[in-house]
Amino acid sequence: MLVQRRTKGGIFAAALTAVATLVASALPAHAETGVSSSTIKLGITVPLTGAAAPGYNKIPAAMKAYFDYVNANGGVNGRKIQLVVKDDAYSPAQTLSVTNDLILKDKVFALVGTLGTANNEATTRLVNSHGVPRLFVNTGFSGFADMKKYPTTFPLFPSYATEAKAMGKYIADNLAGHKVALIYQDDDFGADALKGFATAGTSFVAKIPYSALSQADPSVVGKWVTSIVSAQADTVIMFGVTSATGALAGGLYKAGLIGKVQMILGSVGSDGTTLKGLLGPLAPALAGSIAASFLPSPSDATDEYVNLFKTVNTQYNPGATFDNNVLVGMNTAMLTVQALRAAGTNPTRASLVKAIEAKGSTWASAAFSPILFSAKSHVGYTGYWFGKLGLDGNAVSVDGPGKYTLYTTDSGSAPVVKTAAARPAMPAKGLPNN
Amino acid sequence: MTIFFNTLLVGFSSGAIYSLMSLALVLVWRSTRVVNFAAAGQAILSTYIGYEAMKVLHNYWLSIPVALLAGALISAGVEAIVMRPLAKRSKGTPVEAIAPVIATLGILGLIRSGVGLIWGNSFLQYTSPLSSKGYTIGHTTIPFSPLNAAIVIGASVVLAIFAMIFRFTRLGLSLRAASFQPEISRLSGIRVDLIRTIGWAFAGAASAVAGALVTPTTYLSPNSLDLLLVSGFVAAVIGGLESLIGAVVGGLVLGIGFAFILQYIGTSVTFSAAFIILIIVLLLRPQGIFGVRRSREA
Amino acid sequence: MKLKSPRARFFISIAIGAVLLFISGRVDELRSYQGAQVAIFAIAISSIVLLTGFSGQISLGHGALMAVGGYSAVLVQSHLNLPYPIAFLIGGAVGGAAGFLLGIAAARLQGPYLAGTTLALAVGIPSLANQFHILGGEQGLTFDIGTAPSWIGKDFSQYRWFFWVSVIAALLNYWLLRNLLSTRYGRRWRAVRANPTAAALAGINVGKAKVLAFTLSSAVAGLAGSLYAMLLGLVAPLAFTLTLSFTLITGAVLAGVSNLGGSIVGAVVLVAIPEISGSITSHLGGSEKVTSNLPGLITSVLLVATVLFAPNGPKWPRRKHQ
Repeated sequence: MLVQRRTKGGIFAAALTAVATLVASALPAHAETGVSSSTIKLGITVPLTGAAAPGYNKIPAAMKAYFDYVNANGGVNGRKIQLVVKDDAYSPAQTLSVTNDLILKDKVFALVGTLGTANNEATTRLVNSHGVPRLFVNTGFSGFADMKKYPTTFPLFPSYATEAKAMGKYIADNLAGHKVALIYQDDDFGADALKGFATAGTSFVAKIPYSALSQADPSVVGKWVTSIVSAQADTVIMFGVTSATGALAGGLYKAGLIGKVQMILGSVGSDGTTLKGLLGPLAPALAGSIAASFLPSPSDATDEYVNLFKTVNTQYNPGATFDNNVLVGMNTAMLTVQALRAAGTNPTRASLVKAIEAKGSTWASAAFSPILFSAKSHVGYTGYWFGKLGLDGNAVSVDGPGKYTLYTTDSGSAPVVKTAAARPAMPAKGLPNN
Repeated sequence: MTIFFNTLLVGFSSGAIYSLMSLALVLVWRSTRVVNFAAAGQAILSTYIGYEAMKVLHNYWLSIPVALLAGALISAGVEAIVMRPLAKRSKGTPVEAIAPVIATLGILGLIRSGVGLIWGNSFLQYTSPLSSKGYTIGHTTIPFSPLNAAIVIGASVVLAIFAMIFRFTRLGLSLRAASFQPEISRLSGIRVDLIRTIGWAFAGAASAVAGALVTPTTYLSPNSLDLLLVSGFVAAVIGGLESLIGAVVGGLVLGIGFAFILQYIGTSVTFSAAFIILIIVLLLRPQGIFGVRRSREA
Repeated sequence: MKLKSPRARFFISIAIGAVLLFISGRVDELRSYQGAQVAIFAIAISSIVLLTGFSGQISLGHGALMAVGGYSAVLVQSHLNLPYPIAFLIGGAVGGAAGFLLGIAAARLQGPYLAGTTLALAVGIPSLANQFHILGGEQGLTFDIGTAPSWIGKDFSQYRWFFWVSVIAALLNYWLLRNLLSTRYGRRWRAVRANPTAAALAGINVGKAKVLAFTLSSAVAGLAGSLYAMLLGLVAPLAFTLTLSFTLITGAVLAGVSNLGGSIVGAVVLVAIPEISGSITSHLGGSEKVTSNLPGLITSVLLVATVLFAPNGPKWPRRKHQ
């Protein structure tokens, strides 16, 4: 009797469960935060005001322009992308405050392109506890690729260590025997670079650290120049932001060293248009400098990505000059759209993260570097090409216009590999179809 | 030896700019016994106006008097509209000493946000026709260019003019009297309020010149004179707020000290260097190099 | 029990605390974060009230003292593995020690010279972090006090926990300062602020009183800095800019610089302004020029208006012996 009753109860329970499951699976999926039937909301924090703003404050508008273009052509799986932009004035405290707003009040689906190392660090706890995907952060700090510490964060740009190693190889191949000086920021940005140069085995006749943002003081620049002169360096690597590059150019010009000292500029500080704006009539002083980049030159008229982004910029971002910042913004936006498409018709934060890990390495982007996203790695780009700045401030590849040689490596001890640059063809009209 | 000499030159030209700023601060202090933290803000606003003037007139040299006039008017306006009523209302209250400090800080923030609102946050080019390439002596190029020379000459001219006004004119005497003994000055027929406004106007002109001269060496943006705020003030304190000569000496001490610290210790200590210099000076002379020790002042 | 006695104040504080903590369970996370911000700012502003409102000295660099406290707390927790309440107290203690040294210098300096020194301090101290690797450099050091203990209950979000901790600290701070200011120390400071010469003639050791005020004020600022580090989850030079120091002074003035109770008002206004200006711009729709500069504009206008029209703060119920 007991057995019968228990069995009856068991069968009843099983049936109830089965029915419940069927019913539940037929219900519409619970809408994810930031995703509605018609929109997907994304958020970005960037310095719009303050000393660090010049140049970077153009990125959000460029991203928005590309999103508008995609929205006008069907959006992502029928949804339009909305970008909420917040200013953090480069202060990590403010980054956290406005990111609180983005995640808790505006309820964005994901963050994209957030800028600054300390700034991103400040929002890590919030992002991790809410499982918010943080796509393509705008910094070269290699630490963010650590999947255990930052499970939902995807850096994009190659780390500074990678860049330094690539530069070291370029110097060894093309400038052997020269006396090289290095100017770098005295923080993790610079430390990452030093690590890379050490691995590459580059030796310097002078190593000149400086505090970030102090390049505005003429005495600091004066010190750079006297150090260069006293070490008799004929080559100087400037591993700093654009305003520091401008300051160095001005200092070398003042000392009559233009043409006598070869400048090599890191990717962070080599944006031609910004430099032209900073230097004004002195801009030609930079001609002949060697610059490292991973995106094509904004002036390359043969590049299909550049031409498409230029068109989008003219149509959806009127008034903005097309420069490196716009290129960076649109490239990031293009990758974001592909990520959102791959996240499925009912995207969730988890499905977005998984999509990037599974398919991110196959996506189209303007960079000549492969993308390494996988279930085991959150490292994005890994390589650079080297160009010479022309009188117009834009870089042309050292191998000739349109011919890019890529230097790829990692942040660790792997060697630097030189290959002919190749990248996926751009989807038709620059509209992702993944 | 060349490094030493070059460092001296670099320090000298930046010191000249600090001197102009500290001169503006000392002028205000001597005429109204207030430290004008808004000086850097007034300077940037005047510089933007000079920039607009240059766009219209196509001439850098003509834009400087425009900036100067704008600076004088803005400064006079601040004094008349904010500082004067403030002094009357805060007299006798617990906040009498700090109210002006706070008001000028507020005005600084107001001007900075206002400038960003009107002109935007990107940087602009305010170019001077002078070259920033250093003069060549024999085979070497020294880090002193025509642009730097203009800065030094400009600062010297401003100092000379003000020194002469203070020392040799009736206006200068009235300025000095009105700041030390306003009541007695009023009794002797000096229009103290007007005199004070004039003092502020002079200061505004000085800081405008500083902005117009130094901006061509970098770029123009709402934050480009931020460092000058701190440096100018520290320079004024080092020199002692009581004397114009002190303002200049303070500026040069700071500029040259800065350059030497950066050269021989390293550029990592940039932001701490000002503090170090200041502490050293104040430890030895708490009233600044040329300051006068007052007994028992709140 | 008289309403003004320390014992009464103690119970009143407990009551207020209980009410606040009860409310915290009813509001969302964002408000909890902002509530914690208000509590921390209130502590920081009270340090200015103590220094300027009560002993008449001016400091433009209290942001740097917050940095000293914050970094000390973080270092002590990560290297010595001390529990975070001790870390907070040490942050306050080290801040106080720094204030003691500064106070000795300050006692010799008159108004604007002191302002200048503290200004240079505000700029110089945080950038020291770039000099010494142990201080973490530009990207700073992380600080994690962990989540709420399990006996408090489930569903306790991180921000709500921060709110609790900050409010408890703020109430304690207020209670201690309020009591201190009604003792003879408070009277001495008020005498020094009003007229140092007369105070000296009355037998008060002016130098000592000033140094004591500076030390205590810095200790409070150090405590605020430690809590600030808790809230941000990190300390970095860029988190303690000159703007922070100016913000503290703004808050103190908005409150009425000699009004301890007004610290809360000042803190609320400071946290509310970005919120309000954000709403204004989203309703009016503005260009980026407007949205990024509007908060600063509002704060500055408010500051100038307050100091011009209500230098002693808004009409707040004032005690007779202020």
